[in-house]
Amino acid sequence: MTVAPEKSAELVVPEGHVKLTIDGLEVVAPKGELLIRTAERLGIVIPRFCDHPLLDPAGACRQCLVEVEMGGRPMPKPQASCTMTVAEGMVVKTQHTSPVADKAQQGVMELLLINHPLDCPICDKGGECPLQNQALAHGRADSRFHETKRTFPKPIPISTQVLLDRERCVLCQRCTRFSSQIAGDPFIELLERGAQQQIGIAQEKPFQSYFSGNTIQICPVGALTSAAYRFRSRPFDLVSTPSVCEHCSSGCAERTDWRRGKVMRKLAGEDPEVNEEWICDKGRFAFRYATAADRLLRPMVRDADSGQLRESSWTEALRVAAEGLAKARDEAGGVGVLAGGRLTVEDAYAYGKFARVALRTNDVDFRARPHSAEELEFLAASVVGTSPESGGVTFRQLESAPAVLCVAFEPEEEAPIVFLRLRKAARKGRTKVFHLGQWTSPAVDKTFGTLLPCVPGGEPAAIEGLFFNSGTAEAFEALSGSGSVILVGERAAEVPGLFSSVLRLAERTGAKAAWIPRRAGERGALDAGVLPNLLPGGRQVTDGTARAEVEQAWGLAAGALSAEPGRDTDAILGAAAAGELGGLLVGGVDPYDLADPELALRAIERAGFVVSLELRPSAVTERADVVLPIAPSTEKSGSYLNWEGRRREFGTTLDGTGALPDCRVLDTLAVEMDADLFTQTPAAARANLERLGATASTRRAEPPAVPAPPAPGAGEDGVLLATWHQLIDNGSLQDEEPNLAGTARTPVARLSAATAEQFGVVAGEQVTVATERGSVTLTAEPADLPDGVVWLPLNSGVSRLRRELGAGHGATVSLRPQARGGNS
Amino acid sequence: MGVFDPLKGFGVTFSTMFKKVVTEQYPEDYRPTAARYHGRHQLNRHPDGLEKCVGCELCAWACPADAIFVEGGDNTEDARFSPGERYGADYQINYLRCIGCGLCIEACPTRSLTMTNFYELADDDRQRLIFTKEDLLAPLLPGMEQPPHAMRLGENEQDYYVNGPELARKAGEVAQ
Amino acid sequence: MGLEEKLPNGILLASVEKLVNWTRKSSLWPATFGLACCAIEMMTTGAPRYDLARFGMEVFRASPRQADLMIVAGRVTNKMAPVLRQIYDQMPEPRWVLAMGVCASSGGMFNNYAVVQGVDHVVPVDMYLPGCPPRPEMLIDAILKIHQKIMDEPLGPKRAALLAESGHRTELLPSSVRYAKAGKLDKFQGPRDPRTAASPLVVGPAAAHQAKQIEAGE
Repeated sequence: MTVAPEKSAELVVPEGHVKLTIDGLEVVAPKGELLIRTAERLGIVIPRFCDHPLLDPAGACRQCLVEVEMGGRPMPKPQASCTMTVAEGMVVKTQHTSPVADKAQQGVMELLLINHPLDCPICDKGGECPLQNQALAHGRADSRFHETKRTFPKPIPISTQVLLDRERCVLCQRCTRFSSQIAGDPFIELLERGAQQQIGIAQEKPFQSYFSGNTIQICPVGALTSAAYRFRSRPFDLVSTPSVCEHCSSGCAERTDWRRGKVMRKLAGEDPEVNEEWICDKGRFAFRYATAADRLLRPMVRDADSGQLRESSWTEALRVAAEGLAKARDEAGGVGVLAGGRLTVEDAYAYGKFARVALRTNDVDFRARPHSAEELEFLAASVVGTSPESGGVTFRQLESAPAVLCVAFEPEEEAPIVFLRLRKAARKGRTKVFHLGQWTSPAVDKTFGTLLPCVPGGEPAAIEGLFFNSGTAEAFEALSGSGSVILVGERAAEVPGLFSSVLRLAERTGAKAAWIPRRAGERGALDAGVLPNLLPGGRQVTDGTARAEVEQAWGLAAGALSAEPGRDTDAILGAAAAGELGGLLVGGVDPYDLADPELALRAIERAGFVVSLELRPSAVTERADVVLPIAPSTEKSGSYLNWEGRRREFGTTLDGTGALPDCRVLDTLAVEMDADLFTQTPAAARANLERLGATASTRRAEPPAVPAPPAPGAGEDGVLLATWHQLIDNGSLQDEEPNLAGTARTPVARLSAATAEQFGVVAGEQVTVATERGSVTLTAEPADLPDGVVWLPLNSGVSRLRRELGAGHGATVSLRPQARGGNS
Repeated sequence: MGVFDPLKGFGVTFSTMFKKVVTEQYPEDYRPTAARYHGRHQLNRHPDGLEKCVGCELCAWACPADAIFVEGGDNTEDARFSPGERYGADYQINYLRCIGCGLCIEACPTRSLTMTNFYELADDDRQRLIFTKEDLLAPLLPGMEQPPHAMRLGENEQDYYVNGPELARKAGEVAQ
Repeated sequence: MGLEEKLPNGILLASVEKLVNWTRKSSLWPATFGLACCAIEMMTTGAPRYDLARFGMEVFRASPRQADLMIVAGRVTNKMAPVLRQIYDQMPEPRWVLAMGVCASSGGMFNNYAVVQGVDHVVPVDMYLPGCPPRPEMLIDAILKIHQKIMDEPLGPKRAALLAESGHRTELLPSSVRYAKAGKLDKFQGPRDPRTAASPLVVGPAAAHQAKQIEAGE
């Protein structure tokens, strides 16, 4: 035990802590802390490659060797500080004070470099490479190794997205530990021994993971590189801007690297509250849609003579749009607003305000997907306004929850970061994860979860069953534990009675229910009041006090806002198709995402006047009278609300491209219609929204109380369709990304062995799923689905169910084996 | 002060008439610059015509005026422009920014980028003063072949870098 | 000038045009406008070793009213820009502007808030001369290229329209090539600008030489 030299105030050692000395500095550290972290807290940086705070210690690279003395006796050899935990009375000398540690580190560095190729100029990691930096700081100027270096063929594509260069690898095992501990995907492993030790892949199993990009980012050398970013640019030529992912409702922090007005890559940002240090591949790699060749850059107006869209000036397009909308509003029965689910809060607010102020209607809805009136009630009653500050469910709570039940929610596919948290929680053995779904999907396995199987549409009945059924008593009991969480996905809107059942279950068990939509903008649009029954801040349209507040803040005459809730997306489209609506204002809505794409297209064609705000040509712009181009998320500022209700603010990445955000376009359009939105910029829109503040009205919406219907059956000839979106699918935000598309899961039709037998389907052969609208043919694969149910991905490859079948989750479809010439 | 002092000045002028004229008769009489004059850049080639540039962007990094833009590309078996994995797919030098300091030359790891003595660059079009890869690449000498083509002088890039000159001499002999 | 605007296009005026242009280019008077280090090279160019007087432009005029070529030699700060513009405005037409050095041409390495990123933001530039600073030969080369441009200048709007229609662009050859004496061309050390090396527009003895070079496959 060394005594601190002449220290008047002895360090107080709290319970569960130890006192030790690092480089002559006394420090108190919690028991079990790794030496390398304690040193880091003191500001002493020990070089390392394999150590990563979110991965289990491995002690693989040996770069962090320090000299350790215990109880007055020095340990015989330098110790790896990334695996050694602190102990009482330890005396540690790092490379700064110990020549032994310094020499050991230099030796390790020399050994690491023996087989490392000297190809920094062509290596994508060059310039941001920890090995490069540390070789410069601690390495020798020249090599004593004159023999031939070990070489491997390179690069090897592990997947279409990740390339492996084994020559550069220093065997730190960060990638293998990430994929086994964090993502849970079988990936790459260490092969061979000794000098021939290398990272390798299983021949028959291609690496398929939604999180593979993270291995590229945490690789401390250039051994794993990205195919999409290969040789594109250099870190020293990139400008890094913090940003927020625009793909799903997790709202991950990202770092966007760009140069000369073009985004080159995206990396995971660090936010311990949300995404820790990980993001999914979609968030990392899908960004080139914004620079696609067909991107709309100029406004377009439909020419009266030719009937074709032609480019026009902003002035003309806005004038034509304003005149058309005003005419439709005043003379043709009104205008409906479909905002789409990918808006920032500011843009969404502008849509809501535009509908109410300029179009004087409550016919506004952001839900560009199947939805229900029950969902509307659920959102108004128990989702809107929740946030981490007001006690809503958070990522952290998922981690500490005794049990989590996923209802109609496929975490890995719909909100990958939620999945990572669930896996982390379950892996530490604290959280039990239950999935109310149809089959044991990879997410169920990887969250060590329990499947509570039910037929599609039978979810409410299954939840009711939880109360009584002895087989699921364990789940009910676990959910009754304090802090348990129920997660509901967007698919729940397709199942009547499910939201009501979830709320009943939450009430019975005391668990908190949280809604996790799939798109990034849905939660923000909800709070910004882009719904037929809600004004901004969760104010109800039917509530007079709330209306008066909004009227006052918006400078409207008293009674200017309608007390009637408006029409939802389906009703708007129905009315337009029936000729009751004179016009439509459509944001980023793809008709093929809607429950009935045919109705949507018919409605858009039938509506007298259609204004489309779009980034790229779509089925809507083809039929629109005026097309106004808007900015992608990299070219505007704003904020998303993630599913927690946490505000995720981001600034403009690419400045000065001339692209306008929705709120600016709508503001100018409103001015043309003699209305003021005060949303010229996202900042102005945000200020305008914040001026509204919290509502004075205490009235909460009534929660839905739909009785749970009995589990449906499919009848004699049909089967029930279970389906959900896969993370990487045909979504238009993933266009222009062939490397990413290669990592998508192969679309297959899953069904139980009994169902297959019943319909004469052979596993591995083609099976056709059909409705009266059309059919989809996929390879059949057996899975543990309930009998009479078939699962297909919603929008992957040829399996575009809404477009081809006009069917969604819970629909009845027919099933037949695909006749093959000579074989069947 | 002597009597002739006022005339001394005329004397200087007068005597100069008999001295050798110092005026250089550029442009009629072109005199070479110093051998290491920092003129226009050139992207060199390997003896078989493959480009030496690997698109590493170190020249762009070194450039104090940010006059160089490089974007790398991936050599494939079908289209090979340089030995090894990477080549410079896009290479631009903006002579309206370039200050001719030569730091890019020092930064180049493959001696691909060198400077020539050519300096008559003035132009009336800004666009034309941004030299692209086509403008900068060295002309094809005898024995060279326009890329893309396979590696002629060795199995891999090591052969090019280590034994390049020797292989080139051999290749030349074979060609003759 | 008045008359030529009314007359039809013809041989007489074509010759007048040549004569006028020849007089203009033969006594181009630069305005003194040294701003930074490039001015040192500009002064050298005017001094005996390079002797701009050979091209009829020995006098750097202190008054812009007597000058018709502005050599912007050096970086132009935002504060200097209005002054630059005023001097330009004071010059009588026809007038030409030569941006000497990279700072005047584009801001050069001074990509910051203080320096104008190219004087073409302030005045129309006829010739950009790269270099930091350009050596006197480069300045002479740029001036000779301006001479070439002056020789191609149209007299009157009709000729201008005609030239614009034909898409005419003055071929800017390196001066050492264009004005080379036969036999001296061999002394040219550096590689030629590939964009003009094989130009068929080379006149005089250089043309024959270049034809030989092209034949030889160089």
